[in-house]
Amino acid sequence: MDEWKPNPAVKPHKKRSWYLAWKYKLMNQRALRKLCQTGAVLFLLVTVIVNIKLILDTRRAAYEEEEESAQDYDDEMLNVEAPRHPVNNKKVLDVEVYSSRSKVYVAVDGTTVLEDEAREQGRGIHVIVLNQATGHVMAKRVFDTYSPHEDEAMVLFLNMVARGRILIFTIKDEGSFHLKETAKNVLKSLGSQVAPFLSWRDMWTFVGKKGGEVYGEKHAKSPALSTWGDPVLLKTEVHLTSVEDAECHWPDTELNRRRKRFCSKVEGYGSVCSCKDPTPIEFNPDPLKDNKVFDVPVAVIAGNRPNYLYRMLRSLLSAQGVNPQMITVFIDGYYEEPMDVVELFGLSGIQHTPISIKNARVSQHYKASLTATFNLFPDAKFAVVLEEDLDISVDFFSFLSQSIHLLEEDESLYCISAWNDQGYEHTAEDPSLLYRVETMPGLGWVLRKSLYKDELEPKWPTPEKLWDWDMWMRMPEQRKGRECIIPDISRSYHFGIVGLNMNGYFHEAYFKKHKFNTVPNVQLKNVESLRKDNYETEIHRLLGEAEVLDHSKNPCEDSFVPDTEGKVYVMFIRMEQEADFTTWTQLAKCLHIWDLDVRGNHKGLWRLFRKKNHFLVVGVPASPYSSKKPSSVTPIYMEPPAKEEGAVAVPAVAAAEQT
Amino acid sequence: NGAAFSKVRGSQSGQESTRWHVVRKFLGLISSHNIPVYLIDPLILGLVDKDIEQIRSSPDGPSPECKYFCTPRDFTTFALLDKTWKHEMGLFRTAEKMGFQWLKIINKDPRLDGMDDLSGMEIPLHYIFKLASHAIHLVVFYERSGNFLWHGPLRLKQHMDRKFVPFRKLHFGRYPGAYEKPELLLVSIDDLKVQIPKNPSSFLEEMSHSRFLECRYREARAFFQLYPDDASLDAVEFRKKAKSLLHLAALTLNNLGVKFWLSSGTCLGWYRQCNVIPHSKDVDLGIFIRDYKADIIPAFQNAGLPLKHKFGKVEDSLELSFQGEDDVKLDIFFFYEEDDHVWNGGTQAKSGKKFKYLFPKFTLCWTEFVELKVHVPCETLQYVEANYGPEWKVPVKTWDWKSSPFNVQDNGDWPIDEWDNVIQIY
Repeated sequence: MDEWKPNPAVKPHKKRSWYLAWKYKLMNQRALRKLCQTGAVLFLLVTVIVNIKLILDTRRAAYEEEEESAQDYDDEMLNVEAPRHPVNNKKVLDVEVYSSRSKVYVAVDGTTVLEDEAREQGRGIHVIVLNQATGHVMAKRVFDTYSPHEDEAMVLFLNMVARGRILIFTIKDEGSFHLKETAKNVLKSLGSQVAPFLSWRDMWTFVGKKGGEVYGEKHAKSPALSTWGDPVLLKTEVHLTSVEDAECHWPDTELNRRRKRFCSKVEGYGSVCSCKDPTPIEFNPDPLKDNKVFDVPVAVIAGNRPNYLYRMLRSLLSAQGVNPQMITVFIDGYYEEPMDVVELFGLSGIQHTPISIKNARVSQHYKASLTATFNLFPDAKFAVVLEEDLDISVDFFSFLSQSIHLLEEDESLYCISAWNDQGYEHTAEDPSLLYRVETMPGLGWVLRKSLYKDELEPKWPTPEKLWDWDMWMRMPEQRKGRECIIPDISRSYHFGIVGLNMNGYFHEAYFKKHKFNTVPNVQLKNVESLRKDNYETEIHRLLGEAEVLDHSKNPCEDSFVPDTEGKVYVMFIRMEQEADFTTWTQLAKCLHIWDLDVRGNHKGLWRLFRKKNHFLVVGVPASPYSSKKPSSVTPIYMEPPAKEEGAVAVPAVAAAEQT
Repeated sequence: NGAAFSKVRGSQSGQESTRWHVVRKFLGLISSHNIPVYLIDPLILGLVDKDIEQIRSSPDGPSPECKYFCTPRDFTTFALLDKTWKHEMGLFRTAEKMGFQWLKIINKDPRLDGMDDLSGMEIPLHYIFKLASHAIHLVVFYERSGNFLWHGPLRLKQHMDRKFVPFRKLHFGRYPGAYEKPELLLVSIDDLKVQIPKNPSSFLEEMSHSRFLECRYREARAFFQLYPDDASLDAVEFRKKAKSLLHLAALTLNNLGVKFWLSSGTCLGWYRQCNVIPHSKDVDLGIFIRDYKADIIPAFQNAGLPLKHKFGKVEDSLELSFQGEDDVKLDIFFFYEEDDHVWNGGTQAKSGKKFKYLFPKFTLCWTEFVELKVHVPCETLQYVEANYGPEWKVPVKTWDWKSSPFNVQDNGDWPIDEWDNVIQIY
């Protein structure tokens, strides 16, 4: 969030230049005697000043030694909660808004609160929300309304902004191409006269109060398809209201005090700041009986996506058996708004000075967060690791409580994860079922302290290695043949679409149709069968019971699996050796499940559901379960796509990973 | 029956009853917010300790007289385990309504201090609740890696009221402190129900040498800027083994009740880089010869660490070496105290030559090192400089124990007829 001060303190260095100018003037006039006198006085003065400065510096140094942060202690006592930008007598804000092809800016009382002249970035409608009493910037968004669906996001956002707030709009480059009727009407209802007629490459600025007056609007039409409208600069004044008028009058409770602090600072969180009927910020979900994970610390890894964090924490705090005191949010960077969200929910947050870049930065942030978690909770044997773009299932802690003893007792386990990479709407069915898999899904998982402290932390990739932490953790040197336990139906849902490794297309294709458990208190089935040796017995039992499918049919066709329910079927695919995933990858592609790399396998076996039947895939002859194949059955082989197609597939992955 | 009891108070001077009333109000305040505190006031615990049998045997009995909470003092000290309460501000609002003035001392969280670039919220270290002429000093204890409790120092910030209470007289806060997790006992003294450490005398003993030193994380970071850390697989492996050897040694010696500290290279590693020096190849501990016990050798052998060599004898230059896993060795040096210095001895096996390493006198402080609560010399700089000289900040990879140390002296030779006793190699 941008900081600005309506009355910036006058810098003290002016005195020095004044003194120099005076000295210069005296010398020019050659008033030698006077100069000598003044010189002596000045000399004395300077000596005094230098000495005072020296004393002050020494004292400050001495204080800094012991009391580094003397400024900010004890806000409850000293009442430093007052608005950070007090406007005192100020009643009017000067607002400047600029719109052009290559640059936009917004200045409030001479302080720039938005400036974007980056090339090929920031196209569309920029929106700024100001607090009507303080002039404080509460939200800053850009909606690329040249592209589809962005106007819907803008409407959603504008609807969430509280009445009375000051809204500032400005277009950079192009903002009309996918600005649909609904969005135009919303802008019109805010008082814009131009919005309904905005067209290709028009420049536009608008300042108004939500549900109130219009402070100004300027517009420049694009003369032709190939050119842009002339830059427009809108200068206007905004009248501030009193703080009381800008605030809601919620009953004075500890919770509402947190709410008030939050709602006076940021915008765009909808009903949490509604005056009439604010949504709760404390959830009190049912406690879990015999909760084995009540004392397990929960580390939430976050960046600067405060709206995601808000959604994530709401779902986390609503999960049964949650213990808010064990939650720490680790924010990668000194971002204020995520911290505001953390404080809104009364949780503790830790900020992390970013080191390194991109993936390595995320990786270093993970390391610092995990180390800090085990420092803060030295008794903990485990830590739950979550990310800011996950929804947490209502039975997340119940799921962990029922399974965590396995991680403690079975050394062949690497983690418990809430996420099934292959658990899509059409391939996951049974909320009580667990699997063992050789891949580490992440996205909500439990880490054993001994694994971290003894193995991972000492050799965690250093910042100059641009590795993804999760890729690194999946490498055989780290995993050492250990497996993770996952549910058939995921207990987390990956909703993030804007992130380091994410874009809209990628999310749509691989995450949107993921199944997510919404049933509370699911009793997990046969948890003991997940232990190393028991699992083999279980798999052999399953394969013994399984009906072999007709291998002459096309496995991609729906008819490959009979129209039954609750049966167990098995198919055999060709898998020459342990790392031969040629046919599996093709099968995964046509089944519309995760195919970017191999996930969810256990000794050459994959388990999923098709048409509500348990569907087993065995790789022959690499899998030890190949012996279950009747001699009459020939394993199915699926051709990888021709070279050209393959070449297309690679950039798709790369693109997804870059954004 | 508090009212009846206060009648007894009436016969005493006003100040005395003030203390008792303030303590009672405070206990009422914290119990109304379900916050478990326990008494750690050394003066009261000292008195309680004398009557401990009687107090234990009659946990509910009414007191005939006010023996403990009526001695006039400026303050009474209680402890609070951080993880047992939720930092609810309601406590302070109730306190104010009851007439308490309160002061909170916050500072950086040392559990995050060792980490690069993390800034958490500051944590409360001390609270002071003042009512009339009496104050309650509430010391907040935090759990630290190494299974111990830690409390912070009490440092006033610039604009704080220095006269709020007579800070210099407080029993806790001059230094940070490290404590074992105490067992608690609910007792009734002076008709007040209060938790106390189950064994007040051992708590007071612990308190007398509880001073804690934080590792110098900032300097360690600067060191690693100059000399990047060895991240090779060998270094990782050695650190892991050294850490588990140190954990095993600490467990063994603590079970015997033998006080020890980090010495030589291990001490240097803690002081300079807050970690094990990966090329040091062994773990070094110091023990005062007065704490020597004959059980030490069998105890280590039972722990799976065979004796590698034994040099010297209890009267002179004793040194033990145990074989850890894969060539990592545990060296224990015994320190002999003289009037103005302490020393430990060295012996060259093949020549029977004796050496002496001199150190200035020192006291012991607690610190946290590789998830362990251990002792180090409080005067660490002098100790390290004595051993390694003024250039101790520069890593040295070739090290000869007979000539490299800054403080080594020749100390003659063992008589040949004693060799069998003072030079034992296994």
